[in-house]
Amino acid sequence: MLGILRWTFWITVWLTVAAFFHYTLPQTDIVRITDTYESRENPTSFTVFWGPADVGPDGTELARDVFFIQTRRAKGDVMVYRNEDTGWSWPPYFKFDTSNLQAEASDLRSTEASPRFVAVKHYGWRNEFMSIFPNAISVRLVDGPDAPKGIPLLNIIILGLFAALVYGIWVRWRRFRRARIDPKLEAIEDDFSDATDAVTGWFGSWRKKK
Amino acid sequence: MAALVRLMVVGFIVLSVIYVCLSLYSRAVRKGKLRAQWHEEQPDQSLDAFLHEGLEDYDKSLRRKLILSVYVIPVILVSVVIYLTNFA
Repeated sequence: MLGILRWTFWITVWLTVAAFFHYTLPQTDIVRITDTYESRENPTSFTVFWGPADVGPDGTELARDVFFIQTRRAKGDVMVYRNEDTGWSWPPYFKFDTSNLQAEASDLRSTEASPRFVAVKHYGWRNEFMSIFPNAISVRLVDGPDAPKGIPLLNIIILGLFAALVYGIWVRWRRFRRARIDPKLEAIEDDFSDATDAVTGWFGSWRKKK
Repeated sequence: MAALVRLMVVGFIVLSVIYVCLSLYSRAVRKGKLRAQWHEEQPDQSLDAFLHEGLEDYDKSLRRKLILSVYVIPVILVSVVIYLTNFA
């Protein structure tokens, strides 16, 4: 029973960590931009998946216009990106050039007849049920649908540092447990078994002698 | 604007905690090393005087001032990220 609880706990923790990194770290898609548009959004639920209001204007009003980039991916499916400032808040991309990015994206539009392929760096998830969109960070013209995406150096560095941190904590915790907690637990167990013997012995003295 | 202020305040608090912890840790390490040195060399000074003198030297050292880079490095990192995201 304790084993199941323990497994459930750690699987939940690690799934959360994995989801967090999958959402936050940048990824690159090779796409063809079909159109760009702007839409009035009033995200009242799932606000965590939307950016803060633009850095310039008053940010107290929740409803605002959000830029979108419609694309068809090289794999064949469609993907819609939102294009929002992250500003000074999480995730720390410090993106302020939303309008410039929209201008670039509009400039890179192409038709199926004469396609131009674009590498879109983005973070976030597309989920139709929650109406959430990944946030585009940058667009870059590439040669074709099979263009290389580049080695994700930043992701490797961040995940490597995180793994080192977790390993460091884990090693220290194990060492601490072996040195301080395990001996105490064993002492408690010994005391307990002594006490159990004594109680059994006492009850034994009431039993009928054979 | 509020977001920038929030980032600066929270960042300053977090970095200050790291700075204080690192300072205390570094000083303790230095103290341990001085103590080991005293036992090895057996100077005429008493242990307390030796530690006091050594730690005063440490307080003036460059190594201690380097801990201030706890505040400097994140600012540089943020500047680099802002450049790469918006202007590169």
